[in-house]
Amino acid sequence: MIVPTGPDDGPDEEYGRGQIQLTDVSVGYGDDTVLENMWLQVDRGEFLCVEGPSGAGKTTLLRLLYGSLLPRTGVAVVDGVDLGTLRPRHVSRFRRRLGCVFQSYELLTHLTARENVLLPLQLAQMAIDQPDERADQALEMVGLREKAASRPAELSGGQQQRVAIARAIAHEPAILLADEPTGNLDTASTVEVMRAFQAFHAEGGTVIMATHDESLRDQFAQRVVRITPRAA
Amino acid sequence: MTLWPLRYIGTLGAYSWRWQRRRLTTWFVTAVVLGVVLSVAAAVQLVVWLGERSLAGQLQSASEMQVFVTDGATPDQQAALKTKLAGVSGVSRVTYRSKAEAAARATRDPQLAPLAGASEGNPFPASFVLEMRDPGIAPRVLRTVSGDPAVDPKIPASYTAAQAQHLNSALGAMKFIAGALDLVALGVGAVVALALLRGEVRARREELRILTLVGVPRLVIRVPLVVQVLSVAVAGSALAIVSLVYIGQHVVPAIDQSLPFLRLGDPRDAFSMLAVGTLAASCAALVPCALLVRLPR
Repeated sequence: MIVPTGPDDGPDEEYGRGQIQLTDVSVGYGDDTVLENMWLQVDRGEFLCVEGPSGAGKTTLLRLLYGSLLPRTGVAVVDGVDLGTLRPRHVSRFRRRLGCVFQSYELLTHLTARENVLLPLQLAQMAIDQPDERADQALEMVGLREKAASRPAELSGGQQQRVAIARAIAHEPAILLADEPTGNLDTASTVEVMRAFQAFHAEGGTVIMATHDESLRDQFAQRVVRITPRAA
Repeated sequence: MTLWPLRYIGTLGAYSWRWQRRRLTTWFVTAVVLGVVLSVAAAVQLVVWLGERSLAGQLQSASEMQVFVTDGATPDQQAALKTKLAGVSGVSRVTYRSKAEAAARATRDPQLAPLAGASEGNPFPASFVLEMRDPGIAPRVLRTVSGDPAVDPKIPASYTAAQAQHLNSALGAMKFIAGALDLVALGVGAVVALALLRGEVRARREELRILTLVGVPRLVIRVPLVVQVLSVAVAGSALAIVSLVYIGQHVVPAIDQSLPFLRLGDPRDAFSMLAVGTLAASCAALVPCALLVRLPR
């Protein structure tokens, strides 16, 4: 059982680490409620796939989990942090506890692969030790050490997504959130990217991945959560 | 481990420089526009400061007011008058000037010398000379001595309250106009800086969004904006200071030559004060712009 704690309470770094608990959570945009009465428990080290048709709310769920949306009702605890008590100025601090990977990679095009991993590490994780080594290790983990000096435009889609994964795991988060990470990739690139997720999972990390790819779900997920669209 | 703050500052500095380097043309144009605006403001300030100094010189002589003593006043009446004058708020010193001293001074004054030479006796009255902190208190002095038996009833004092008020008003008006022009210049500068920053945020919306997504604190995301606006303020001020020195060395002497009654004088004393003032005011006006501009959520 996770006991909700907020950033102001000086959260125990290990309590609830890598775990997610949603208790009767509803979330949406404006007047629209996208997810209603959602219950979910994810333990540390799980590889969970979230599936569902387009518009069902997969991205909304992930946005809730990385603090971009707040729960309207219910209790959402992610990595030991109660999102209901999360103040706007603490969102960035909360995000530094997680790793996020997006379908469109979200890389800075004017930076090299190494700089893309290093810069957020340096700017966001202020007191982190040896950020250069961490960035190199993360690139090594996703098999892109030799591409460290390349800019995103010089990399394939799969390689760009692996750089994004390296960026997401460089600060050693306990939870990795991925929103359709292979949505823009061919089969070969998808395999490369999924290997990177597997490497993170093998180290004991929790992976929550939204996907509509059934083969990925069958091959990698330990558990599948299916979201169905709300009836209008 | 204890070195991380230094390392972090270094990283932020390097990032800010990289941020700025990619849009140097925009930065340069903004700095020049700001420099022109600040140059106009600094030039106005220089002329006003010199004019104020010139007027202050005139006020200095105006701040010496004489209360004339009637010839028949007894020593007791004079002593009582002196006590009364010293008690007026704003009068810092009261000294007695005898008829002989007044006559001697008159012989040295080009306007009074002919009168002194033509007169058989001594037509110049004795007086109490008041040093006033503010010529504006002249009316108070005149009210205080009104009807005093020791005071000359026909010409009680060396100048009227209206004259003192005119000088004071002129000085006040100059200060007000200069202050208003400075505020307008800083306002224009702030608008120029805001336009630059909004353009930067628009051009880098994607980058800022990504940094937000990966958990970079919003305060840190603002640092390059603050650095950028500070560098623009410093560059614009530098340009204004160069203009200021040029105006001081070439334009002010030309004004003095063509309009000698102005007597603006040597502007070098004003350079450092106005340079520091321009830099401080531009930074103070522009840096809040970097804190006000909206970042993507």
